[in-house]
This record gives sequence, C-alpha cells and structure tokens, in this order.
Amino acid sequence: MRFPILLLTLLGFVAPVAAFDFGNLNLGQILQNAQKATTDISEPQEIELGDGIASNFLGAAPLLQDQRIQKYVNDVGRWLTLQTERPDLPWQFAVLDDNDINAFAVPGGRIFITKGLLVRMKSEAELAGVLAHEISHVLMKHHLQAIKKGARTELMAEFGGQVLQQNGSNPALAKLVSAGTEVYTRGLDKNDEFEADRMGVVIAARGGYDPYGLPAILQTLQGINPQDSSVALMFKTHPALADRLDLLDKLMPGAFDSFETQPSLAPRFMAVMSRQNR
Amino acid sequence: MKPIFALCLFVLLTTAVQAGEIAYTVRATELKAKPYADAETLLSLTEHGKVEILSRQASWMQVKADGTTGWVKMLSLRLGNAEVPKKSGDSGLGALFNVATTGNSGSTVTTGVRGLSEENLKKAHPNPEALKVMQGFAVSKQDASGFAKAGKLKSQHMDYLPPPGKGGN
Repeated sequence: MRFPILLLTLLGFVAPVAAFDFGNLNLGQILQNAQKATTDISEPQEIELGDGIASNFLGAAPLLQDQRIQKYVNDVGRWLTLQTERPDLPWQFAVLDDNDINAFAVPGGRIFITKGLLVRMKSEAELAGVLAHEISHVLMKHHLQAIKKGARTELMAEFGGQVLQQNGSNPALAKLVSAGTEVYTRGLDKNDEFEADRMGVVIAARGGYDPYGLPAILQTLQGINPQDSSVALMFKTHPALADRLDLLDKLMPGAFDSFETQPSLAPRFMAVMSRQNR
Repeated sequence: MKPIFALCLFVLLTTAVQAGEIAYTVRATELKAKPYADAETLLSLTEHGKVEILSRQASWMQVKADGTTGWVKMLSLRLGNAEVPKKSGDSGLGALFNVATTGNSGSTVTTGVRGLSEENLKKAHPNPEALKVMQGFAVSKQDASGFAKAGKLKSQHMDYLPPPGKGGN
C-alpha cells in the first residue's frame, strides 16, 4: 500500500512539471514505466479474463435456482460497490448451489458465494462483510496480479497487446483463463487476504452496515470442524481464522465506534432466506 | 419513553445467534450488564474462560458465563476448538476443552466429491449459458440505492485503515 501512495503523491507533485530531471534520475520516466506496468492489461481485458474464469466456476457448480435470493445478494453487493473507487465495473453477484463454504471474486467484478456459506449467516451485515471482502480483491486486482506473477511474460505481453476480438479467438486469453482458474485452488498471498479483510470492514461501514458482520461470520466459521470437507478449500486458500480475527481485533476497536449503532438487518436477511427453506 | 426506545433499539440491532455456541475468551475481560463499556461489571472473566453465546449487537456479544448473563466484546471471544491453547498439563478449563475437542473432531464423515473442490475446479468446463444468466442478475445503481434506502442504510465516509501495529500505535 505504501508504494502506490508514494507514487500518487509524486504524481501530484510532478505532473505540472513534465519529465522533471533530478540529476540522472528521470522521475518522469520512472512514473511512465510504473504506469505502464499497471496498465498493460486494460480494464476491458481484465473483465474479459474474469468472464472466462467466472464461466469455469459456473461449470464447476450450478447457480442456485432462486431468483429472490439472487436478486437480494445483488442488491446488497451492488450497494456496497457504490461505496468504492470502482463503482462502474460490471458488478454481478451469484449464489452457487453448493454446500462447500466459500466465496470468490474474479477480475472485473464478478463475485460468487456458495449456498453453504450463505446458510451459516445470520444477518445482512454478515453477507455485506463477506461481499465487501470479495469486492476488495477486485478493487486491488489481487487475482489479476497473482495471474500475472504466475504467467510467462511473453504470454502477458501477447494478451496485453491483443486488441479485443469479438468472438474470443484469443489463444493467450484461453491460457490465462485456465491459469487464472488454478489460482483459486492455490489461493492468494496471505497479505492480500488480510488487506481484503481490512478494506471489507470499512466498505461495510461506508454502506451504513454494522461493520462487525465480517468478524461475526468468521467467528461462526471457527465453530466448524476444520476437518470437514466443506471448508477444505477455503481453509487451504486463506490465512487461519484466528489470525484474521486477531487482525480485526487490533484494527477495529476505537476506529469503528461511531458505526456501532448501524443496522445489521437480520430480519430482512432472515425473511429472504426463510422462503428458501419452505 | 426511554426504556421503550432502548428496547426497540435492542430488537433492531440484536442478532440472534444459534444458542449453545461455545466460545472462550482470548484475554481477561469483563462481563458487562449492558453492551456499553461504562456499564456495570457483573463478573471478571479470566483468559481462556468458557462462555455460551446468546446473541450479538454490533461489537458486543451477549453471553452466559458461570450462570450469569451479560455482555462481552465479541473480538475478545474465539469459537470452536481449533484455537484452544495447546498448552499441555492445563487443569480445569483446559481439561474441559480437551473433552470438547475430542467430542467434536473425533471421526469426520467425509462426504464424496463436492462441486467446488480443488479437483473439480481444476477440471471445470466453461458454462457460458450460466454466465449469461448471472449477467442478467445485475442490479442498477438506482435500484441498489433504493434497496439501501428501504433498509435505512446511509452512506458514511471512512478512509481505509493501514495494517495495525506497523509504525505508530
């Protein structure tokens, strides 16, 4: 986080004086290179790559056949995205009809949550906490960076240099989608997960929710036997729940006191969910 | 007027938690009569103390400890058995937890292959039709704002926070 902030500061400072030369250190050139490194995959390409990965997820697990719940999760999620720095991505949310306990975000703004996780929740604030964590991964391009790190430079260059084609006949894209899907079986760097927790509670608070929804569901998941197969992939790909709760325990007291009376909307959540178990 | 308001607030903000969930304290903490820092202290709980969770209200959990019902900060609690301190030779509570641990994690019935297992994700075939259906779920900004308004959710300003404990503090 520090480096980008420093860069931004430099950018603001340097912008009026193009290519300022500090001896043989050309700041303008450094900034240009840094900018290139973050923009060699365009936003439409980020979305296209995410589409491919999302399609794979939907090949692994079906959508929950319940329009009301799908709409509700999209309402909560879309509202949260309006509190962020990327409100105009094609944000879509889906509940997967799967008993595993997990949630996933793909580049460009498609987010999945399993039925298995949803039924463990007790309020809209908990749902908001989880969705805000996933939204943070998209904001910070965590998966995109993990895919880039794992892919050969030539492949990235090929994909990045390619003009978007109408019918998706992009061989570099196909390879990156398959590599990208595999990233979800290995997981991100722990610090990316901690960062998503830190940002997630803030986004939930910005959305007017009781910000303790995320730690509440993490606590609930602690009560599940870690040997249960429904948590195998989530536990493999995330830091220990105790470590995540310890981080929020250090982060939240004080800073979130003024949001203490924001609603958790448990009744609205329960009303939507109870129709499912009719 | 005041007690009724307080009651309404309580009903609005409190989330029922599945009764009977057992948690333990990660530090010595006070059991409060109400979910406020300056409320009356009912009991002093020691570190690794066992409590039963009743409900949650923002950062507070209503719990039962030694037969007394009161409130503790939720982040002073951890659930489950995985995080039970693994000190050997613990007496009292430690022994109690050992019982709980064996009872919970003895044998696990592993249920066949699930949809989102690692293996299934690796060999998944794309499903563009389902992706189209998902894209149809998209909600407009206006509809999302209307949904928030119906729930009395109000946007707030708050900056992201740096990692705790790194510089400062």
